Amino acid sequence: MTLITTRPEAGTARPYVFPALRRVTAHGGTVIAAHLPGQVLATAVLLLDASAARETEGREGTATVLAKSLEEGTRKRDSAAYALALEGLGAELSPSVDWDAFRIGVSAPAPRLAGAVRLAAEAARTPKLDPEDVIRVRDDEVTALRMDWAQPGPRADAALRGDLFATEGRYRKPLHGDPASVAAVTVDDVVAFHQEWMLRPGVLLVAGDLDGLDLSELAEAAFAGTAGQALSPAAPLGLAIPAKPHVILVDRPGSVQSTLRLGHRAPERATPDYVPMTLAATVLGGAFTSRLNHLIREVKGYTYGIRGSYAMTRRAGRFEVAAGVQTAVTGAAIKDTLGEIRRTQQEGVTEEELAVARSWRAGQLSVEMQTPGAIAGALASLVVHGLPDDYYETLRREYLEATVETVSEAARRHLAVDGLTLVVEGDGEKIRAELAEFGDLTESAV
Amino acid sequence: MGRVTSPTAPVATTGYPWPIETTRLANGLRVVVSEDRTAPVVCVNLWYDVGSRHEPPGQTGFAHLFEHLMFEGSQHVKKTEHMRLVQGNGGSLNATTNPDRTNYFESMPSEHLELALWLEADRMGGLVPALTQETLDNQREVVKNERRQRYDNVPYGDAWLRLLPLLYPQGHPYHHSTIGSMEDLNGAALDTFKAFHQQYYAPNNCVLTVTGDASPAEVFALAEKYFGAIEPVPGIPPAPDGHLAGPATEPVRETVTAAVPAPRIYLSHRTYPFGTAGYDAITVLATVLGSGRGSRLYQRLADGKRIAQPDYIGSYGVDLAHAPAPLIITATAKDGVDVATLEAGLDEVVQSLIDEPVTDEELNRAKALLTTSWWRQVSTVGGRADTLGRYTTQFGDPATAGYRLPAWQAVTADDVTEAATRTLQRNSRVTLTYLPEEGPTA
Repeated sequence: MTLITTRPEAGTARPYVFPALRRVTAHGGTVIAAHLPGQVLATAVLLLDASAARETEGREGTATVLAKSLEEGTRKRDSAAYALALEGLGAELSPSVDWDAFRIGVSAPAPRLAGAVRLAAEAARTPKLDPEDVIRVRDDEVTALRMDWAQPGPRADAALRGDLFATEGRYRKPLHGDPASVAAVTVDDVVAFHQEWMLRPGVLLVAGDLDGLDLSELAEAAFAGTAGQALSPAAPLGLAIPAKPHVILVDRPGSVQSTLRLGHRAPERATPDYVPMTLAATVLGGAFTSRLNHLIREVKGYTYGIRGSYAMTRRAGRFEVAAGVQTAVTGAAIKDTLGEIRRTQQEGVTEEELAVARSWRAGQLSVEMQTPGAIAGALASLVVHGLPDDYYETLRREYLEATVETVSEAARRHLAVDGLTLVVEGDGEKIRAELAEFGDLTESAV
Repeated sequence: MGRVTSPTAPVATTGYPWPIETTRLANGLRVVVSEDRTAPVVCVNLWYDVGSRHEPPGQTGFAHLFEHLMFEGSQHVKKTEHMRLVQGNGGSLNATTNPDRTNYFESMPSEHLELALWLEADRMGGLVPALTQETLDNQREVVKNERRQRYDNVPYGDAWLRLLPLLYPQGHPYHHSTIGSMEDLNGAALDTFKAFHQQYYAPNNCVLTVTGDASPAEVFALAEKYFGAIEPVPGIPPAPDGHLAGPATEPVRETVTAAVPAPRIYLSHRTYPFGTAGYDAITVLATVLGSGRGSRLYQRLADGKRIAQPDYIGSYGVDLAHAPAPLIITATAKDGVDVATLEAGLDEVVQSLIDEPVTDEELNRAKALLTTSWWRQVSTVGGRADTLGRYTTQFGDPATAGYRLPAWQAVTADDVTEAATRTLQRNSRVTLTYLPEEGPTA
């Protein structure tokens, strides 16, 4: 048998193009639509400036309860009729809340998209919000959070956030609140949140074969009956990194793995260092061949996978390493992880590693942006972060042109190994003693 | 409730409107190409007709552990090079193992098509010389961590592992789980894996599919160049026979007390093999029963009786092709609802599929949702390649992929009732119940 021994050279790359955009405005709202010729499915997302950050302290989770109440009936029809009408079009509502926006998404074969958008808008603008329904949805959400918090991860995430953003109001609580804050949400909170934030026109993002979609009809469906001006964004929270590590144990008796969440704060999404930071994190913990995954998974066999990344929203950012490691090697895994973060911070990246990160991030812009849903998500980033229509072409070029110097400099400035908060969720009895060697140990109450 | 007229689903004549061309190399490798120049992306996908159903006793989990070894280097690809070359050229990759088969796939910017084919050919034809004890030991630990992370450390995480032996008798190829037992994994010897590769990773046991930004002529030539010299393996032994005489005749129950936050029930029945008309009816039935807020389970147990948590209710078929595939139905009790009440509620709704005909509205809703989910599946070159690989491997012809959506749309209310009557009887039911441990919960 003769296999070809030499690796083939790359062929000629076709130029990268982000889909062409079209805009239509009506009633103060804007439709931004990306043309995807040949796609049978189309996606629409109503993007509203009604993020979790707008919730009142102590009532974290209000927007999530609202999101889940939207389908409990509208002024026009009850919940069963609503479900049948929407699902009869092949669509399901996906309302979601993040730190920057409230999104109500629907996907359907293109000829049915207008009907689905009409129903999505009906739920978003005119939900019934019957007090009994809202209370039931809230109670169900408390139960659902408790279910979720029984999995490894969410309690560790909450402990990390609580420490990183301890003095930042809403930002110190999880995106969807915690079981106590959701339990405190009242019908009035939900109704007031809806009244205050959900009635401005907002933006409708559309991705699909535009030859079969009437954008004016979609605009009418999304924005008719709305009023109000767009809100101006609030200032970023700024940076606060402690002088020495915090170690927090979240006890999970009997756990066969320890869940690691190691993090510190970082700049917000608008930082000019966005591209080199992303590439530095890719080298450290983003790609499969990253320093962390190579050492902790492929060499040591401590984990099924480990990731390091920056998450950056409009007002805040954070660096985080996340992994589940076998209980018996918890201390060793943390030590090795800190070693790689320190090495990246102090010594930067090599050209060989950066070459992988650059090409991967650039290639992902076409490989991972094929579906209407993915393109609608990309459009949302343009709107939320005020980026130009040619942003993805620019981003691709910036990835490909990034140098070892700029990326190493970003690692030096935006990694802080000695200011990390080390949250470990695991079997306290087995791991407590070894955790103490990484810094002052506290036990989390979450 | 206000009655609305639901529009009739538009009937698709095919679920696969893209061109398909095929060839077969002299060594038996089937090559399928589906060109689409919309985006500068190609997907390369290989379906090997080997899964956990082929594993003999004492070697559970080997097909999946082997999948891991395929990323650890081959004759001309160094230990960490595979991942680095794919990601380092902008691609996304993965592989999965299930009871039926093992698949490997990478979506790449199209200028790297040839690289992807070279990598795949090298590990099909040249894995064994690169396989070392060190690699095996390391990946065995990674897989054990995968088992801990996905099954052992998660509430209800082992439900699938428990359902399989209750659904399929001892010795049946679906009796054991794909992840395997820790004990068998610990006993895995290097020579066994070398033999495994030599037996099953043969061109005549594989389908290579390329979708997206490439022409059939180009792909066929490259396939010949890179795979053409790999020798076929004669007489590959089939998996043990998965034939079963019919639905189970005795109900089976298992109750687990574990660190779970609320009581949960899984009901399961063996139905029909994936790809049959019976299983199409089951697919529609599962959607009527448990998919979306308009489903019977949601309407009657989460909304109506309010005994089940709305976020944790549903039903789905597991698309296995080599024996009657399972339908799984699950619900989790709301606070203060005891598990007997929940089970009675579930039983009543399942029984309704036998006693109470599915309405036009329910049927249209289910078909509309299935239509959307079908088009979502084929909206990427990766989804398309995997679909064509499946239909070529399991039904001998990639064009049969286009029949599935019309077949779902042709299912009638009577078909659903008949499938329910045949497969969802109480005496053929597996009931797996999780109960929280006594004492204070977190």
